[in-house]
Amino acid sequence: MTTPPHTADEGAELLPVATAARTRAALRTLVRPDRGLALTGIGVLVAATVIGLLVQPLLGRIVDVVADGRPAGDLTLPVVLLIAVAAVQGVTTTLGLTRVARLGETVLARLREQFVERALNLPADRLERAGSGDLTARVTGDVARVTEAVRSALPEMARSVLAIGLTLGALALLDVRFLLAALLAVPVQLLTARWYVRRAVTLYADQRVANGAQQQQLLETIGGAVTVRGHRLEERHTERGADRSRKAVDLTMRSVNLVLGFYGRLHIAEYIGLAAVLIAGFWLVRDGAVSIGTATAAALYFHSLFGPVNAALVLLDDAQSAAAGLARLVGVTDLAEQPEPKPGKPEAAGRPEPGRLEPAGKPEPGRREPDGEPLPGEPEPAGKATPGKAAPASVPRQRVASPEAAVSVHAVSHAYGPGRPVLHEVSLTLAPGEHVALVGASGAGKSTLARIVAGVQQPTAGTVTGPTAGTVTAPAGPGGPSVVLVTQEVHVFTGTLADDLRLARPDATDDDLRAALATVDALDWAAALPDGLATVVGEGGHRLDAARAQQLALARLVLADPALAVLDEATAEAGSAGARALERSAGAALTGRTALVVAHRLTQAVAADRVVVLEAGRVVESGPHEMLRDADGPYAALWRAWSGSRAAPHP
Amino acid sequence: MGADSAAGRGVIRRAVAGQRRDVVAGSLLGACHQIGEALVPVLIGIVVDRAVVRPDGGALTLWLVVLAVVYTLLSYGFRFGARAGERAAEQAAHRLRLDVLRRVLAPHGGAEAGRPPGALVNVATEDARRVGAVNMALTLGVAAVVGVVAGAVLLLRASVPLGLLVLVGAPVLMALGHFLARPLEHRSEAEQEQAAHASGVAADLVAGVRVLKGLRAERAAVARYRATSRASRDANVRAARAAALQTGLMLTLTGSFIALVALVGGRLVLSGSIGLGALVSAVGLALFLPGPISVLAWVGAELAKGRASAARIADVLAAPGETTGGSAEPTVPAPGELRLNGLGHAGLDALDLTVRPGEHLGLVVTDPADAATLLHCLARRCDPDRGSVELDGVPLTELAPAALRSALLVAEHDAQLFDGTLLENVTAAAPAGTDPHPAMDAAAVDEVAATLPGGAHGRIGERGSSLSGGQRQRVALARALAADRAVLVVHDPTTAVDAATEARIAAGIRRARTGRTTVLVTSSPALLAATDRVVLVDGGTVAAEAPHEDLVRDHPVYRTAVLT
Repeated sequence: MTTPPHTADEGAELLPVATAARTRAALRTLVRPDRGLALTGIGVLVAATVIGLLVQPLLGRIVDVVADGRPAGDLTLPVVLLIAVAAVQGVTTTLGLTRVARLGETVLARLREQFVERALNLPADRLERAGSGDLTARVTGDVARVTEAVRSALPEMARSVLAIGLTLGALALLDVRFLLAALLAVPVQLLTARWYVRRAVTLYADQRVANGAQQQQLLETIGGAVTVRGHRLEERHTERGADRSRKAVDLTMRSVNLVLGFYGRLHIAEYIGLAAVLIAGFWLVRDGAVSIGTATAAALYFHSLFGPVNAALVLLDDAQSAAAGLARLVGVTDLAEQPEPKPGKPEAAGRPEPGRLEPAGKPEPGRREPDGEPLPGEPEPAGKATPGKAAPASVPRQRVASPEAAVSVHAVSHAYGPGRPVLHEVSLTLAPGEHVALVGASGAGKSTLARIVAGVQQPTAGTVTGPTAGTVTAPAGPGGPSVVLVTQEVHVFTGTLADDLRLARPDATDDDLRAALATVDALDWAAALPDGLATVVGEGGHRLDAARAQQLALARLVLADPALAVLDEATAEAGSAGARALERSAGAALTGRTALVVAHRLTQAVAADRVVVLEAGRVVESGPHEMLRDADGPYAALWRAWSGSRAAPHP
Repeated sequence: MGADSAAGRGVIRRAVAGQRRDVVAGSLLGACHQIGEALVPVLIGIVVDRAVVRPDGGALTLWLVVLAVVYTLLSYGFRFGARAGERAAEQAAHRLRLDVLRRVLAPHGGAEAGRPPGALVNVATEDARRVGAVNMALTLGVAAVVGVVAGAVLLLRASVPLGLLVLVGAPVLMALGHFLARPLEHRSEAEQEQAAHASGVAADLVAGVRVLKGLRAERAAVARYRATSRASRDANVRAARAAALQTGLMLTLTGSFIALVALVGGRLVLSGSIGLGALVSAVGLALFLPGPISVLAWVGAELAKGRASAARIADVLAAPGETTGGSAEPTVPAPGELRLNGLGHAGLDALDLTVRPGEHLGLVVTDPADAATLLHCLARRCDPDRGSVELDGVPLTELAPAALRSALLVAEHDAQLFDGTLLENVTAAAPAGTDPHPAMDAAAVDEVAATLPGGAHGRIGERGSSLSGGQRQRVALARALAADRAVLVVHDPTTAVDAATEARIAAGIRRARTGRTTVLVTSSPALLAATDRVVLVDGGTVAAEAPHEDLVRDHPVYRTAVLT
């Protein structure tokens, strides 16, 4: 539901789109394992169509028998053959369509699985750069469009194209002059198709956008109905709704007009072709070149083309937009196969690449490589944590897990782009089991530091040692993750509550799940859900409020059982009373782990072993709550402001 | 259910009656199209009969001209008929959509009860569209009936026995196909429903990708998706097999039927009772008639869907309100005295409280559910079971909800922002011409504007999605302050705001609301310290009242509620 605090889409660097050639190649690769299915499917459909084409000559034969006044018994054979054709055509069509559908569904499943796998494994900073909207649009819009095309357009198109090609061939077999007459319709059809597709693709895209905008606006207004009523915004929002709806209606009517114009033009083509075939029949019969039956068969052939031609042409725009969707999907599935380009992002020289211990050795001009020297002016971390014993300094850029430190970042700097620095050479070490609260104003860099410590974000410069090292993109291996990050972004995964929890530990038993829920005080409400752990939650299921959703996230943390947990304002979404309960849950979930907690309520700082104050991307204070509170530093000022009174007693 | 469907029929009746001109025009023009389509195979037969059998150039020209006229007729009939039908469908859907939206936003509320927003949006879009589509279905249905009748007349004119064969045979054929396919259809629908699930799961996983990454659960998620995708694939293959079987079945039945028509027709020609042209026409019409007949079957299905949708729309439109009654207007300008007399509702019990005009009151409610109940009573989202709430001496139950909210604003914790610029959001509820800057300054929204591309004129996205939680809270608070109501009740406005900013906001609220009644329902010590007086509600009733610092010093329950 919530979207994280990364601002605006203007700077978004969209995910790539594959070229047409690359899309075709990818499609070939996707189909290759099922080549046999593809060939037999098409083969059977060709057979079905060819057999179907026997109908018109057989009808022509009947006409000939009748026109020649032959005995009624002569009708039997063509009639029996007609029935046989119908039976065989039915069976082969069924077989062919089934095979084509199985091929389509198999390839489709392969494609969407690849897509989801690649999408979920995209590096976090790549995701941030693209913005979540792009990926969501691809997984909903583009997948749906390709699916729709495979499911309905593909079989229809295959049959129509086969019918058109083979019918034209059959016309030529009757007499090539029938084919030439029929082809008179083609120029009009081609022009019409071009005219239509040109307009349809953009118009339908606009229509989808308008429908999406209407849907979003309605969802926003209706979802916020309490706010709308409470603030007396009813009229404005009704107007907005009417406006969006009217736009969607206008665009729908425009596309209706387009389709109707398209059919109007096709009617002209139909008439031209039909008249031409009839005139050809007239001449050929007059000249004794063909029988009346053949002329009738030719006319019936042409009449039977109306359906397939209209179907194939009207599907052209579906095919085109499906191709565009496919290119956008392949663009993502290709991502992991090629080295990730990092356009416009300052690359830290010497930033350790996963799996490589030596510095890359390509210093960029204008950037000084931060080395392992202690930084002047940086306060020594106080409290029970002994700073990393110069471990990072002695072995810079190496991922050495120090037994003294659960995790340690050294001289870490980060910028989200040129001129947007967030962290300046921050060093921080967490001793095993230590709970550190990170405090500071909005924009001080707390979340960025948390993401770096959690290994979700690569810093622009500096080193990270500990369990997170090298884990930037690596998912959990066997034995569960060594670090877990929980943010204020809550997402309840659609499915049963148990399924949601098992994402953290797929092999957990129901008892494990209950125990994890109990740890975070969530078992009472979870057990009281309509179907207990089997209750369907998330989008379309039982709705959990923000506090419960966050408890669920904490229960997942318990199940994942990492040595290091990073909580980024994980209790901020609840109201103040809810926040207290959530803090209790969080405290229970963190027991026995090393923890870095980004605190927005200072009660979290009180409970921590050590408080680190961040200001404008620098650590300005570090020590236990009591010590900092009594010192005359930034934390003491924060504490006074938060507790609302100088006279507030020490808790 | 009976009453429901009666109300649903009313919805459909209004949807059709509102567009009757287009529906009638669409039906007539659609009928022209169908007659034309029926005439085309007949004309092919006539051309063969009159111009080809005994080649006759004059007859060929004549009948090709007739064919051209028929084509023009059917083409324009189709074009303008379908346009009228679609217009009727779209306009009706548009009106219904707005009806639903107006009902949801109506001051007495209640439409959301038991319906999540997604379901209501579905009613406003999909259900409205389906009811609108009844108009299109009606025009097509009328046209199809005309088409069938036209085909029948043409056939019977050519040959009574052959006509009867086709007329009886075609519907029997359709019915047979439908009957044989029915079990398949049911199965296919069930399969497809299951299959639709896969795309939903994918979208859901992608939406939660950050959470998955934080949890390092990518691999588990991919494994789960793969299982869903495979199940969906298998379901779809089964559904496609059923559909293919149905297609094959219909092909066989239609082909056999054509053979039968050709046999009977051929014998009739040979016996001399009909001409060759009639045989060709009959075959052509036998191929044509399943078209309009299947349209009729489709119309039946559309009408059934339309009825179900109409019942849902009627349900929403007739949903009972959260509160009933009340038409009085509060005095203007309202002095802003708020009085709770023995208020009892849900967890609240005999709650007595007076907020003096212009007072800044802190309200600490130990049970979050009680806080929610209290806020609902104040906003007239519910009427209390016992006791009363009075604004300037008038019980809220006597006031029109909309008028009440013009004088008293309850800014709830989860108040929503709306797509638009930051400034538009801040001034959304403000009287025209209000200077937004004092409110923005008070809620520290100036800092938010500084981080937004485009500043105060930058867009904040759907529901303020380009802002962080704390930023959204500040903008919502600025909106409530700029609304400048006589009484402002704010619930937990700073839970996601850092401590330094919270202190600034505490002072800001006080400054922005000087002399105006303001109630802060919160447990934030920074905000409470800036109030004149704090009331502690524990166990649903007033437990203590005093300035914040006194309560912190003297009251352990208060200390626990506020400082831990």
